[in-house]
Amino acid sequence: MGEPSKLMRDFWRGGELFVWMTASGVALSLLMVAGMLGLIMVNGLGQFWPGALQETTLKTQETVIGQVVGEEVIPNSITPDSPAGQRRFRYRVGNRDVFGSEYRWINAADIVSSARPEDLTLVERREWGPAFGRITVGVEGAATGSASGSSWTTVKTLVERANQLRRRIEHLEREEIGSINYRIEKARLARHALTLGGRLDPDDADRDRLLLDQIAVLERDYLAKTEALERLHKDAGQEVLFLTLSTGRSVRLSLDEVLAVSRPNGMHWGEKLLAYVRSLWLFVSTEPREANTEGGIFPAIFGTVLMVFLMTLAVMPFGVMAAVYLREYATQGLLVRLVRIAVNNLAGVPSIVFGVFGLAFFVYALGGTIDHWLFPEALPNPTFGTGGILWASLTLALLTVPVVIVATEEGLSAVPRDFREGSLGLGATKFETLRHVIIPCALPGILTGLILAMARAAGEVAPLMLTGVVKLAPALPLDEYLPFLHLDRKFMHLGFHIYDVGFQSPNVEAAKPMVYMTTLILILVVVSLNWAAVRLRNRLRRRFAASTV
Amino acid sequence: MITERFQLMLKPVHLRTWFDRLARAVITVGGLATIISILGIFFFLFREVTPLFTAPSAKLTQRLSVPALLVDEGPAQVAVDEHREIAQVFTSGAIQFFDLASGQPIPLETPAQVKARQITAMASGGGNAPRLAVGTADGEVLFLKVGTTTEFTDQGERRKRPHIRAGQPIPLTKSPIVRLAYRANDQGSLLALLSKGGRLLVARIAADDVAGHHPIITELPQPRGEVTALALDALLENLYVGTADGQVVHVGLSETEPPEMRAAYTVAASSTAVTTLGFLSGDRSLVVMSGDGAVSTWGLVRRADAPSGWTLTQIHTLRAHNAPVTAFAPSQRVKGFVTGDRKGNLFLHHATSSQTLLRLANSEFPIRAVAFAPKGDGLIALDGAGQLSLYQVQNAYPEVTLETLFGKVWYEGYDQPAHVWQSSSGSDDVEPKLGLLPLAFGTLKGTMYALFLAVPIAILAAMCTSQFMHQDLRAKIKPIIEVMAALPTVVLGFLAGLWLAPLLERMLPAVAGMALVLPLLVVLASFGWYLCPLSVKRHLPQGQEALLLIPLLGLGIAGCLWANSFIEGWWFDGNVKAWLSSRLGIQYDQRNALIVGIVMGFAIVPVIYSIAEEALSNVPKIQIAGSLALGATRWQTVLHLVLLSASPGIFSAVMIGFGRAIGDTMIVLMATGNTPILDWNWANGFRTLSANIAVEIPEAPHGGSLYRVLFLAALLLFIVTFVINSLAELIRQRLRDKYSHG
Repeated sequence: MGEPSKLMRDFWRGGELFVWMTASGVALSLLMVAGMLGLIMVNGLGQFWPGALQETTLKTQETVIGQVVGEEVIPNSITPDSPAGQRRFRYRVGNRDVFGSEYRWINAADIVSSARPEDLTLVERREWGPAFGRITVGVEGAATGSASGSSWTTVKTLVERANQLRRRIEHLEREEIGSINYRIEKARLARHALTLGGRLDPDDADRDRLLLDQIAVLERDYLAKTEALERLHKDAGQEVLFLTLSTGRSVRLSLDEVLAVSRPNGMHWGEKLLAYVRSLWLFVSTEPREANTEGGIFPAIFGTVLMVFLMTLAVMPFGVMAAVYLREYATQGLLVRLVRIAVNNLAGVPSIVFGVFGLAFFVYALGGTIDHWLFPEALPNPTFGTGGILWASLTLALLTVPVVIVATEEGLSAVPRDFREGSLGLGATKFETLRHVIIPCALPGILTGLILAMARAAGEVAPLMLTGVVKLAPALPLDEYLPFLHLDRKFMHLGFHIYDVGFQSPNVEAAKPMVYMTTLILILVVVSLNWAAVRLRNRLRRRFAASTV
Repeated sequence: MITERFQLMLKPVHLRTWFDRLARAVITVGGLATIISILGIFFFLFREVTPLFTAPSAKLTQRLSVPALLVDEGPAQVAVDEHREIAQVFTSGAIQFFDLASGQPIPLETPAQVKARQITAMASGGGNAPRLAVGTADGEVLFLKVGTTTEFTDQGERRKRPHIRAGQPIPLTKSPIVRLAYRANDQGSLLALLSKGGRLLVARIAADDVAGHHPIITELPQPRGEVTALALDALLENLYVGTADGQVVHVGLSETEPPEMRAAYTVAASSTAVTTLGFLSGDRSLVVMSGDGAVSTWGLVRRADAPSGWTLTQIHTLRAHNAPVTAFAPSQRVKGFVTGDRKGNLFLHHATSSQTLLRLANSEFPIRAVAFAPKGDGLIALDGAGQLSLYQVQNAYPEVTLETLFGKVWYEGYDQPAHVWQSSSGSDDVEPKLGLLPLAFGTLKGTMYALFLAVPIAILAAMCTSQFMHQDLRAKIKPIIEVMAALPTVVLGFLAGLWLAPLLERMLPAVAGMALVLPLLVVLASFGWYLCPLSVKRHLPQGQEALLLIPLLGLGIAGCLWANSFIEGWWFDGNVKAWLSSRLGIQYDQRNALIVGIVMGFAIVPVIYSIAEEALSNVPKIQIAGSLALGATRWQTVLHLVLLSASPGIFSAVMIGFGRAIGDTMIVLMATGNTPILDWNWANGFRTLSANIAVEIPEAPHGGSLYRVLFLAALLLFIVTFVINSLAELIRQRLRDKYSHG
């Protein structure tokens, strides 16, 4: 008996157990990272794959058409009789407008038969999410579609034609009528500005009349365009689609409701791949629909990029200047050391605090003042006195400037002393040394700081919620009207999009896959930026580690 | 490149030095400005908060003498309009308006039916409407509307017009009316009156009986002492009768039942009479003022032992006057009121915060009537010598004091003092409750749960990679863990709220299983490896244990998830939620502290890890080599040498993790139910300071109490994180210095 107990004692004393315990910390961390990324990727990327449509007949003689999206053991179904428990499937049955809910659980025990007929059609609609069923073509007013002339190609041509028409209508609505509205509003504000001082100045009377004429012309234009729009709507044609649902009911689908039709069961994998890439592209390039739960996320991507870009413009000169001052010009002493620690620690102050500051300082104090002096004609509607992309960018610039300062300082201090002394010894002034010797050497450090700042800014949401992000922006902050970049506009943001769709939307369940995809894009942006910064920093360290020897 | 540099050298020297100086100036100014502006954030936040704590003040802006006609002994009533431009004085003599800009009376005829009668009692209808009831010496009551309407001309100019509208007298009793209380709502009007003979009557006039031809009059039984004060609430259900022997009798009224004497309460020292009764805005708190100058507020509180289930309880005691209180007026905006005494002093009180904000010595004459301006920024008082005094009051945040922010406060409608955060409610009459303690508690709770999970994992991982792991593997794994720190918290919050929370609700047994199975697996693995023959061990060099553990732990987790229903069956009687609530009395919320602990723990693992790793790997290699050479195993070396030397660094790592968890917003916003409750339980939610700011500041009116209290919350977060980070940084620097010199 002595042998095993000695073995145990040695094992305990040697501490190998604890070494393994520490290794479990690493293993758990890695498992969590991998699990999280895997989860997001599967859920995000999986949704664009055209899943097969099942037609399932139940014991109750009911037929269900849908995509199987999940499977589980029914909770509390494990009994002594069936130790494996009962299974059930989660069907996405679509047709939210008819069935009330887009998803449905079906117990495996209830299924009589299940098949994948090729004529099952998936219809993507402008509202109410997808619909599944069998499609036929009919004329307006008919109760059902006629069997003749309902071939699949006819349906596809009709949908294609409707889409072209819709694009024209949208162009007319948004670009042309939108532009007229914009100009009318401008002219109206200009008139208001003329009368702001109380009375209309006689000198301004001519201008006022001119503006009035302009408005009249624009309004005539507007009428003409709306008539053209109505004509286009009439052109939509007589054909309508009829969709026979799983219940046998026939539902009328007006063509301008239908975005796309497809028959995933009849596709081979090449077509599926094509469809996959196409929907992925549509996701990143189109605008959201239905309270952000359908459609794409282009405005959010655009808003994020533009906001980060503006922030970088603000943070770069000031961050670098502050770091250069601290490291190269300020007299090194206790005060500078304290300032350095303070700046360093500002990076750890919660972002919501910066958001609060941005709201009070930029939006209310600065924005309110700007409105008062520069945009009195629009008051009481605020122009800059409310959240906007400029204030959001500046708030994030404040939040990230410590990151830039710290990284730049690190870069500057890594430049070997010999370089400076050499340059100064050859007669260069301090600024020349800085410009031609030190900054180029420290450039990787500066860039590291900038990239880290961009990554941090791209992922922050809390401060933006207070300074100008919205769930749905009516217009991009960048467009073709002077002055092109509208700094006062509100914008959409990937991170806020996740929060909003995941937590404030009326149909969270249907929007979930979209949020996963948005999440994946955000993570890709942030992690790749960070990765680049880490690589750059390591290169910098190695380079100077070699050169100082 | 070379030619360019060469050309540079050819520039004239004075131009170069000038340029150098310019650059120095630009960089100095720009750098300093940047640093000052980012450090200025603190001062700006501070400046936004300070108005909360500035002492209230009042300034006498005007004093005028009213005509002799208005100076008499009878009841009086004063008011001022919201812009403080027109004052009104109503005594038994007449009704008179004054233009405050000129100080001159505004000529306006007092209606004949008022002029012809001797007014012996007055009562305001409560609320913001200028409704009054007056009782006459003939036992009649008249309803009046006396006030100022504001009109705007086409040019946008503001015009004020005083008006008096009087109804016809309604005879209610034969003898003079001495005291009167009056309230009206959409069901009708209710009057309580005391006639000269000591009869106590209640008269109800239905809403459709506009002229008051059919009042329903009920006589109440005589209370024990002489009746000295009456107060009616806006529900038209409660009448309070103050008596000369210091009692308040609560009478329940209803449209259908006869009046019911509910209970009598002693509210003042027995020899002192109740001089005045009144309500705070909202008519829920009764203010009792007695002959010795005492001022207190009372409210109906639920008590099981009381016959009606409710008893009138003293809630707040305010600073007492030195003389009997003669005048009272509630603020129309907050739970504040003003009292005036016989010696001419005015006290400004705020009930909820139990404080007397201001004491003003108006004159040596008794205060006959007093009123707040509608916005609470002004006071008007009429004294016994016929002087009308107007004060400008600066008292924007009476409800916010350090005690109300962090202490227990007895709010209206509560049965006891409590810590409550409830910034808004459906009704205007319900005061905002701005107790920061539940939020600070929530912040701490979330942080603690996160640290509880993150600290062991992060420090174990840091020990492993810095001491035991193979260098090549370390170079790969360290950046992976560190990149986790960059993950946006909104992503983690989303996963926590929409993936983990529903999952954990179903998989709770599996998680409980994991807590048992995973450590067991590690022990078994290490022992198995220990027993392995060398020939097997050779294939995996030392320092790669983590690689072996990843699939093992992965399998363990998967196994637990698979076995979820079995574990639920064995341990938790087949239903974990029912088991929790019946055995442990725990109500499981879907979004709870456990979720936040896991996800926020995940977020701060890399933060703690990377600093602890740095501290651990900075321990000089030569010391470690010495220890190993002396025969210590690698674990013994780490435990007794490395861990000890690096302990300050590890401490600072935990502190920085703490700072990060405190300020996090998105995770707690999305993964907790955001319910501001005080409970350490892991199975329910909470609300943190940061999430609270994010939720409430978009709705907070700029410059209001809520807005500034949220700024205070932000300032607190700023200070706490800044101090913690600075301490951690100091510790780290000292450690670094120690090893760089040693």
